[in-house]
Amino acid sequence: MAAVEKSTKDRLLSVLEDLEVLSRELIEMLALSRSQKLPQPGEDIRVLELLVQRDQELQDLMEVAQQQGKVQEEMQLLEKEVEKRDSDIQQLQKQLKEAEHILATAVYQAKEKLKSIDKARKGSISSEEIIKYAHRISASNAVCAPLNWVPGDPRRPYPTDLEMRSGMLGHMANLPTNGVNGHLPGDALAAGRLPDVLTPHYPWQSSDVSVSMLPPHHGNDFGLEPPGHNKENEDDVEAMSTDSSSSSSDSD
Amino acid sequence: MAAPQQREEKESEDCSLLPLVHDIIKCMDKDSPEVHQELAKLKVKIQEARDQISTMPGVDSSPLEQQQQLATLREQVRTKNQLLQKYKGLCMFDVPKAS
Repeated sequence: MAAVEKSTKDRLLSVLEDLEVLSRELIEMLALSRSQKLPQPGEDIRVLELLVQRDQELQDLMEVAQQQGKVQEEMQLLEKEVEKRDSDIQQLQKQLKEAEHILATAVYQAKEKLKSIDKARKGSISSEEIIKYAHRISASNAVCAPLNWVPGDPRRPYPTDLEMRSGMLGHMANLPTNGVNGHLPGDALAAGRLPDVLTPHYPWQSSDVSVSMLPPHHGNDFGLEPPGHNKENEDDVEAMSTDSSSSSSDSD
Repeated sequence: MAAPQQREEKESEDCSLLPLVHDIIKCMDKDSPEVHQELAKLKVKIQEARDQISTMPGVDSSPLEQQQQLATLREQVRTKNQLLQKYKGLCMFDVPKAS
C-alpha cells in the first residue's frame, strides 16, 4: 500500500520546527561552551550543518509552495468554468423536460381525438337518415312555429291540456269504475280495446289505425269475453288482422 | 524574465533564518547586549513564517496530488463542454412562452 504523501504545508511546518530546534540548540551550545570554556568536539559543527541543510530545504519547499499557489489559481478558474457548465447543463435539462411534457400532453390529446374519431366512425349514421329524422321531429312544429301562426292561435309546440284529455291517457282516467267488458279501467289496455266513444280522434289518424295502436287482444285466452259483444269483437279483430296498411309510419 | 527570478531569490532569502542566526552568533561573540533583541527577532521571524505557511493557497496537498486534481478538473471541463455541444446539436423544440 503506497504511503500517503505528506502535504507541502506539513513538510514546511516540520522543517520550520526543525530549524527552530536546531537554532536553539546551536545557540545554547555556543553559550555553554563560552561560559564553561570547554571546546565542543565538533558537535556545534554538526548542528550548524544540519541547520544549513534544513534552511535549504525550507527554501526549496517555499519555491514548491509558490508553484503550487499558481496551480491553485488555475484550478480555481477551472472550477468556475465547471460551475458555469453545470448551470448550462441544468438549464438545458429543464428545457428538455418542458418539451417532453408538452409532447406527452400533445400525444395524449391526439390519442383521445383518434379514439373519438374511431368511436364516431363505428356509430356513423347517414346524413339522409339524420335529415329524415329532423323532418320527422320538426313535423309537429315543436322546433319552429308554423308559418301561419299568429298570436292567439291555440296551437302549441307541446300537447295542450285539451289534447291530453282527449288522448288515450285522458280517456283511461275517465273510464267508469266497473270497467269495460268486465275489466277495470286500468285493464282497458289489457282488454285489448276501448269503446268507440272513448277512442281519441286525431286528424292524422284513421279509425283503423286507432284500433291497431292497441296491443293484441288476449281476452279470449282467459275466457273473459263478455256476452253480447262477441260479434263486434270478432269484427274488430278481423278488421285489425286484415288491415295491413295501418301502421304508425303512415303518419310520415 | 530576470525580474521575476530576482524577486524569487529575494523571497527565498527573506524566508532564510541563517542571517538571523549569524547575527545572534556575532552578538554572542561580542558579548553584545543586543543578543536578546536578535533572539526575539528570530522568534518573530519563525512565527511569521508559520503564519505565512498557514495562509498559503494550494499547499494542503502534495504537488502530485495537486497535479492529479488539476487533471481531473481539466477532464471535467472537457467532458461538460462535449455534453453541451451534444445537447446544442440536438433538434431542440421551441418552447412557447406562457401567455
